[in-house]
Amino acid sequence: MQNSKGVLAGTDNLGRRFVRVVLSGLPMALLLGGIGSAALRAEAFVAERAVVQILTSSQVPVYDAPWRFQPVQRSSGTGFVIEGGRILTNAHVIAWAKQILVRRYQDPRLLPARLVFAGHDCDLALLELIDPTELAEVKPLEFGELPEVRSTVVTAGYPAGGDQMSFTRGVVSRIEVQPYAHPGNRALLAVQTDAAINPGNSGGPVIQDDKVVGVAFQGMPGLQNAGFFIPPEVIQHFLDDIKDGRYDGFPMAGVTFYDLQNSAYRRLLGLPDDGRGARVDALRANGPAERVLKPDDVLLEANGYVVGSDGLVLYKGNRVTVAVVFQELQAGQVLRLKVWRDGGPLEVDLPLEAYDGDRLNGRQYDEPPRYFIHGGLVFTSLSANYLDSASDGGRGGVRDELAQLAFELHHLPVESPAAARTEPVVLSSVLPHPVNADFGVRGQALVNRINGVRITCLEDVKRALLEHKGERHRFEFWGPKYGPLDALDRAAATAANADILRTYGIVSSERL
Amino acid sequence: MKNLLSLGGLSSLPRSLSLAPIVLALAVAFVPAAAQAQPMLRTAPDWTRSLVTVEITFNAHDAFQPWNNPTVSTRKHGLVVAPGDVLTTAQYLPTHTLVRLQKGGRGRWYDARVKWWDAQTNLALLTTEAPDFWSGLKPAELMTTVPAGPEFNLVRWREGNLESRRADFSRFIVSEGALGFAPQMIMEVSTDIGGRLGWAEIVERDGRVAGLTTYGTSRLCGAMPASFIRRVLTAYRAGGFAGLGHFDFTWQPGSNPGLVTDLGLSGAPRGAVVNKPGKAKGEAGLQAGDILLEIGGFAIDSEGDYLDPDYGHLQLENLATRAHFSGEKLPMKILRADKEMTLDYVIPEANFEKETVPREVFYAPPAYVVAGGLIFQPLSQAFLRGWGDDWRKNAPFRLQYYQYAEPPDGRKSLVVLSGVLPDDINLGYQDALMLVVDKVNGQTVATLTDLTGALAAPKDGVHRFEFMKGRGLQRLILDAATLDAATKRVVEHYGIPAATRL
Repeated sequence: MQNSKGVLAGTDNLGRRFVRVVLSGLPMALLLGGIGSAALRAEAFVAERAVVQILTSSQVPVYDAPWRFQPVQRSSGTGFVIEGGRILTNAHVIAWAKQILVRRYQDPRLLPARLVFAGHDCDLALLELIDPTELAEVKPLEFGELPEVRSTVVTAGYPAGGDQMSFTRGVVSRIEVQPYAHPGNRALLAVQTDAAINPGNSGGPVIQDDKVVGVAFQGMPGLQNAGFFIPPEVIQHFLDDIKDGRYDGFPMAGVTFYDLQNSAYRRLLGLPDDGRGARVDALRANGPAERVLKPDDVLLEANGYVVGSDGLVLYKGNRVTVAVVFQELQAGQVLRLKVWRDGGPLEVDLPLEAYDGDRLNGRQYDEPPRYFIHGGLVFTSLSANYLDSASDGGRGGVRDELAQLAFELHHLPVESPAAARTEPVVLSSVLPHPVNADFGVRGQALVNRINGVRITCLEDVKRALLEHKGERHRFEFWGPKYGPLDALDRAAATAANADILRTYGIVSSERL
Repeated sequence: MKNLLSLGGLSSLPRSLSLAPIVLALAVAFVPAAAQAQPMLRTAPDWTRSLVTVEITFNAHDAFQPWNNPTVSTRKHGLVVAPGDVLTTAQYLPTHTLVRLQKGGRGRWYDARVKWWDAQTNLALLTTEAPDFWSGLKPAELMTTVPAGPEFNLVRWREGNLESRRADFSRFIVSEGALGFAPQMIMEVSTDIGGRLGWAEIVERDGRVAGLTTYGTSRLCGAMPASFIRRVLTAYRAGGFAGLGHFDFTWQPGSNPGLVTDLGLSGAPRGAVVNKPGKAKGEAGLQAGDILLEIGGFAIDSEGDYLDPDYGHLQLENLATRAHFSGEKLPMKILRADKEMTLDYVIPEANFEKETVPREVFYAPPAYVVAGGLIFQPLSQAFLRGWGDDWRKNAPFRLQYYQYAEPPDGRKSLVVLSGVLPDDINLGYQDALMLVVDKVNGQTVATLTDLTGALAAPKDGVHRFEFMKGRGLQRLILDAATLDAATKRVVEHYGIPAATRL
């Protein structure tokens, strides 16, 4: 299975900016060049019994036909046993999984597993075997510290190119906050290494001095010898988060900082040219930061970390964006900030909150899309997943109506929060039936109003249609003020519902 | 903008979506049988005496360095239509620096003068003061009504020889002009003549011109019909050409019986439904939900077409230019709130300058302001096309989207910070790119003139630039005391001829 192209974990769920480099077809010797030193053998020996292969059968929904799923895809990734007998891996390895099987080192059996927690924002997931005693004899791997740049690390996993466990070695190239491809709209601390990280490596441990210093997770197109792994800071944050039995996710303060390197700007704010402080440029409406910060506040320190005028802090020997300090805390914890406001320093406490207000903006997993079907009209949530499927990933260029959807989804909430809808609804398609044969709008249209009711979520659609008493339903698309109009006979649409669902093999008219 | 740090979901940029142009829907023409029954007369017209070659050298638009005037030369065809008048399409002429004419496909080039050009009609008249040029040439005859084929000839100069090849009539369609956005009826013909078409080659039959090509591939091309050209030239020569108009409302077919019934229509569906009114208010204004039943006396069917007496079923947009110019009244019979009524729609002028994001800015050299190394330009489609042939895919999505949705505050034009020429004064802003200006020193900026006016009034010793609320940088500051000196330094350092061109 590993040799079949396109079914390897890590190849299916990665976003536009980060796509794993596929090296299938290269000779093994080339892939694993450098293996064989005594040090490597010693490190690998400790790790290999705890490293498992994860075989997943997954089914991704069809976002523009939301009652359907794509064909089952099989993929494989890597995981490793940690304290408590559970298996840590990448969230993208098990996303949309219908079945998870684990293969232990040198064990022919396939052991069924289940998902315990998934942190899609940090691309980590925790699994456990259905029969946890199978791992009773396995010594869990322990976590180490953030490795130093230039130090050597070893990866272990089951990448493409063979069936057995593979090890690669490399140095830590750099440590920065990087976009995480799996969520698509989050950036967290990540470590770059020149150790080969290939499809199938995903979720595997990166080891230094017998301890796990990372989880291999993504590559970057166009770069050679550059793989990325999730560092212990992020892993520990995930593990701490789930201790209360619930995953909240990384807090999002809702503030955008910008460099403060222009001397005129510094002078205006009364700051010397001493290379300190990043300026608050924008605040998310109703976010926690908006309650304590103001535009043009200058962040001088965050939890004791001195913030440079380039917006970076010295974090464990690395210059990293100040975001990393915010991300150290859990939702509910308070960040102590030293800011410069109105010509003087000020200390403020910023309570951090988990934030999922932009979930439709990023890629979603494991929860099939919401929808409502009436009279053959298929309504679903406007989301990045929907837009990707409707626009073929943007490859073929985008038409007017999709541009409007993209604006509504990505820009309106930032530009005009008051005008933004909680859950923009799109008419994704019309299932042809005599009752809707004359309906002119056939899909990919934002639903503005139905029977005069402004649509802010799918429940509004259902209410507006089911509570209407008039002879016909009136639809207004696009907006904000004008757009295509349409109408549907109320009684005929209601009467046709069962027939339409039967004709198109749809089990339920809604998933709300 | 690598240094824009985000902790709150503000920084993740969506994939850049490219936009498709608004293209008017096409309507296939079904031509009355009488027009098809005309006999085919085979003659051998001497097009060498009417068809000439035009060479145009013009300034191309350098979107990212608007002070540059790169020149490009191209050749196309011209048609002698009257003594002293060579007709051609207006394409490439708006920014011409040199125009020359050649007859007979070879030999001497004559310096020419552009007497008139109009972007919306896509027509131009050229002349030359050299008497030699005109000797031996004779005006071509333009058809009054263009028959729907079936056969024409496509004639062009190619490497010094006249080339003529059969062109089969395909259809009449209504589309935006090749240069402007006013609707025009276009005749599409197919031919196997090869090479790229659309260089004002002529489509002719029996020695009379049926049209000038305006676009094409190697096998299919669109031609502006001679009947349209005649009408425009007649009006122009009589001093009565007011420019082409267009319909500034949007509509949809009234083909859903449920919808038109809901809007008050009884009987079979007919008419088109207005879904976005134009700018006219009051008695002359349309409203969303109005059903257009007749325009200029022509009944509108439920597809949004009318039956043209010469060209068959055509899209209603053609009625904006078929027999009228801008500013003229066009009676419209509509159904509103169950009642039929007539209103006199005044046809708005199709004018790039009235667009928030003008498609073309070629009426004057590209305008810009360089202030302290920051480069400001009007936001236009001409600017967006700087991203190349794939500009709809590659140009910043948010800038493109202003073409589709006007700014909420109703400002009529926009200014964009298009780049930064690095200098000490703008240190820290090197990545501030492609941002639409909201205010400068507290004053709303819709034009470069607004911008320069606002720069005259710094506050607290600084110039404050604020950008439209969104995902990009929100504001920046420049030192006021040193701005002029810095601008002078930048202009010299980067070899810019002038800091400002308004």
